[in-house]
Amino acid sequence: MDSLVTAAAVAKSYGSFMALSDVTFTIEPGITGLLGANGTGKTTLLGMMLGLHQISGGELKVLGVDPYTEGHLIRARMGYAPEHHTLPGDIRAADFVHHVAELHGLPPREAKTRASDALWLVGLGEERFRPMGTMSTGQRQRVKLAQAIAHDPAVVLLDEPTDGLDPEQRDEMLRLIRTVATSFGISVILSSHLLDEVERVCDAAVIIGEGRTLAAGSLDALRGSGADVVLELDSASEAQVVAGHLTQKGLNHQLDGRKIVVRGDDETAFDIARDVCVAAGVSIHRLSRRRLSLEDVFLERAS
Amino acid sequence: MTAEIFDRGYRQYGGERSGVPGAVKTLVKYSIRRSLGLGRSARFKIIPVAIILFSFVPAIVFVGLAALLPDEIGDNFLPSYAEYYGFITTTLYLFAAFIAPDLLCTDRRTGMLGVYLASPLDRRSYLGAKAISVAIMLGIVTIGPPLFLMIALVLEGSGPEGVDGFFKVGGQIILGGLVLAIVYTAVSFAVSAATDRVGTAIAATLGLLVGSSVLANVVVNTTDVTNNVLMLDLLQLPTELAFRIHGEIGNEEWLSISTTNLWLACIGIAIASALWVWSRYGPLLVRR
Repeated sequence: MDSLVTAAAVAKSYGSFMALSDVTFTIEPGITGLLGANGTGKTTLLGMMLGLHQISGGELKVLGVDPYTEGHLIRARMGYAPEHHTLPGDIRAADFVHHVAELHGLPPREAKTRASDALWLVGLGEERFRPMGTMSTGQRQRVKLAQAIAHDPAVVLLDEPTDGLDPEQRDEMLRLIRTVATSFGISVILSSHLLDEVERVCDAAVIIGEGRTLAAGSLDALRGSGADVVLELDSASEAQVVAGHLTQKGLNHQLDGRKIVVRGDDETAFDIARDVCVAAGVSIHRLSRRRLSLEDVFLERAS
Repeated sequence: MTAEIFDRGYRQYGGERSGVPGAVKTLVKYSIRRSLGLGRSARFKIIPVAIILFSFVPAIVFVGLAALLPDEIGDNFLPSYAEYYGFITTTLYLFAAFIAPDLLCTDRRTGMLGVYLASPLDRRSYLGAKAISVAIMLGIVTIGPPLFLMIALVLEGSGPEGVDGFFKVGGQIILGGLVLAIVYTAVSFAVSAATDRVGTAIAATLGLLVGSSVLANVVVNTTDVTNNVLMLDLLQLPTELAFRIHGEIGNEEWLSISTTNLWLACIGIAIASALWVWSRYGPLLVRR
């Protein structure tokens, strides 16, 4: 299947201000997290993906075409759930979702039926005729998800979809997002600053920082991207002994209690770590490739 | 034996999509429904229904009188088409002041603008759809009642004669109504683009209309400036042009102002408003 989004050295400037300077990534079908602290250019990037802002440099393709020149075609096949919660309070959820589905090109009758279906699917079937102003934050987040998927888009952009939700509602929303991708066949681009959320639900991530790509790829690749090895022993004293041997071997490492992170190419580090433990006569509790959390990746790349 | 489907599941949509024209049509339809208070609680219906009612009531009364008491009302009882604008100007100002702010400011304030700009609409088509919606709503008030009046004049025996006459008067009614609708759409659009607050925009629109009228008349009456300054009077300017379209003069003070100048002033207001609104929306970033 073709890539959903490809960005090659994309830049965006506003006058002398450089919002994005070198953004390169590929988003494949599935669930992809777009990560970055506030003010790092995520919104600008979303705007460019929707064809609302022209890029200043590089190349950007969404669903295979230039989003700026073919913006209306792209947006007809995209769903978007904004971050804010202040949707028109006097409008009923069903009317709102119906309206958005029609905006994306569905015939009125089809839009009405699908709006109702989408609200049932997100768990608001019984509440669909309530004005949105009377709904809780959790319900409004579901309405936003329903309007984003009602017109059967190829991809949905969800902007902070768990913002304002309690832990239970958050779990439910993440489950729904997973269902959208796995059961409904709609790819999801999830913009968030919550690393653990992306880690829980996404297949891949693009991490933006200071206007450039810090890291991009599948979560497995990103979390395994540290080539180091983690050596865990039974006690801190044994770890100190092994650390001494590693120093003698000239291997860069970091001691943390009974755990040692051995730096270096994983194949070589694996062998040396094993041999050192045998030489020191200590038993190995765990020897594995170091698995990074997204937070580790983020902090490492940002620094 | 009957069966019931409890879970329809998620269905793919493989049909045609209507693209930008469909999105514009949808937004126009939705905006008109919203302006009329349809799909909203009763309190949102009061103002539009009252305004439309007040603008049509005189015409309906005239039709009734002309139909029921043709001999009693005499030949000159009914107003001319241009004179009828006198019955609807106040409701028109109110309508103009209420509709555009509700349609434009609310979208920016609630973030609906972001939802619209994530659809096939872009800024230009979005603003175009909103302008069409406001103009249609104002057109209901500026074109509908004079068309009703035409029925009364026909019943009274002083209506247009022949097919040519109907087309001529009908054309004048539509053109005059469009001038009023477009100029007031332009004014209320320009004000609504300047603030996110509906209440502020309503007050500012009314203030601008009344204030411009007071200012223009004070300046002309207290100084030696040319009467052309009266064209700054946004209350009277489009009405005066509508009178001229019907071949009448609305206000004697305006006699010295040529019809060409009135056209230029009205077109200038529409263009200036469009440029101002675009300057506000063009650089607007997608709001999250």
